[in-house]
Amino acid sequence: MIAIDDDLLAPSVLADPYSYYGRLREHDPVHWNGRWGGWLLTRYDDVLHALRSPEEYSSDRMASLMIELNEAEKDRFHLLIDYFSKWLVFTDPPYHTRVRNLVNKAFTPANVERLRPHVRQIVTELLDRVADKGAMEFISEFAFHLPVIVISEYMGVPVEDREQVKEWSDETGRIFFIRANEPDRRERSQRGLEHLLEYFAPLIRDRRVHPRDDLITALVQAEERGDLLSEDELLATCTVLIFAGHETTTNLLANGLLAFSRFRDQWDRLRENPGMIKTAVEELLRYDGPVLATFRAAKRDLTVGDKQVRQGDRILLVLGAANHDPAKFADPDRLDIARWPNPHVAFGQGIHVCLGAPLARLEAQEAFLALTQRFPNLRVPDQPLEYHPTIVSRALTRLYAEW
Amino acid sequence: MAESALHITVDHDRCVGSRMCVQIAPRTFALDENGQSIVIDPGGDPRASILEAAENCPTMAISVVDPQSGCVLFPPSSG
Repeated sequence: MIAIDDDLLAPSVLADPYSYYGRLREHDPVHWNGRWGGWLLTRYDDVLHALRSPEEYSSDRMASLMIELNEAEKDRFHLLIDYFSKWLVFTDPPYHTRVRNLVNKAFTPANVERLRPHVRQIVTELLDRVADKGAMEFISEFAFHLPVIVISEYMGVPVEDREQVKEWSDETGRIFFIRANEPDRRERSQRGLEHLLEYFAPLIRDRRVHPRDDLITALVQAEERGDLLSEDELLATCTVLIFAGHETTTNLLANGLLAFSRFRDQWDRLRENPGMIKTAVEELLRYDGPVLATFRAAKRDLTVGDKQVRQGDRILLVLGAANHDPAKFADPDRLDIARWPNPHVAFGQGIHVCLGAPLARLEAQEAFLALTQRFPNLRVPDQPLEYHPTIVSRALTRLYAEW
Repeated sequence: MAESALHITVDHDRCVGSRMCVQIAPRTFALDENGQSIVIDPGGDPRASILEAAENCPTMAISVVDPQSGCVLFPPSSG
């Protein structure tokens, strides 16, 4: 048994989580982290089973938040509790099943595919802006904008409001992503959510009277048809979709570009064989996807490996560790854009599998096709890499590229 | 029977166990011991439900062929 430091936000873990979680997977694959107060699962088979077994592993995050809060705090943060408890990602069946079924149609691969020409055009326009400069900060000049434009347009958020909505969305997320000891993160999160709710309420009212070809209209109509979504559920769903559509795809693009810079031969291979784009993006997701880990809670007492997990225990499913498990993936630390089948868990699996996955795939496919074709010599110069301090996402603060 | 049962396949390299198909066409699809979808009765639900199940699959793991005409009803041909 080796000694394992339980600080998941240590600089060495943030810089290279795959080595840290790889050691865990090898030496203690079902690990009790006393500092965080929960179990860490790092083997592919255990993570996959947990993702596909909502009867054993609950996604109800609010239940665990309620335990952390005293009565005064519950009162103060009632808005957060009310709405987050209606966010698809934090709910179990039957609520989850009902709402997921309503929104699923809008995100099926076939429906999302229709957006491809438009996404291609957005990518072209974004790259037009920087082409002559010969260099860019990839995140703020490209990877940030693409998902914001795509999800805002798809939902029906007016162009002029995009940046503001993005800011509120980021604030709302502070409660999940930022260091747990940031003192006012709950207040900031609740204020962000308040702004989003105030913003979406009139948009929803407008679409009832003036339907358009956008997702808010589709949700309103689903609600009106069968009274299946209440007003609060509709608002909660708008906020979770805009939130989920933002940061993760940005990180997929940035992590992908960094991965290519470390495996230059794979960049050249894609440039010469653009037909490999689909398997290439799956491999980028597996190799260094935007979501490192996801939470669950034990719905009942469970035996995982040789450990006894108690009902209610918090569990971190380390997707990034599962995606590098040599028991599942040959040569897991190598980027191979032809890898197939590639049963990675970057989008989760099971009933909570990422709703926006087809959209994220489409955006990444169009981005890397355009980048390899238009800037074949693009390189990522040596630079200090800094990641946002969170245990669930894999988020660079900046990434300079030149061509 | 007015029409013969569809030929339905689930690609387990793609299926992520979302259960969408099981919810939409529960007499046609079920989960195996790995939590992936399998076809238990290709005529278990009306055609429209089976096609809706295929369309709602988040990974396009389900393909549906009409055995009489040989037509691929899902996925749609790309292009």
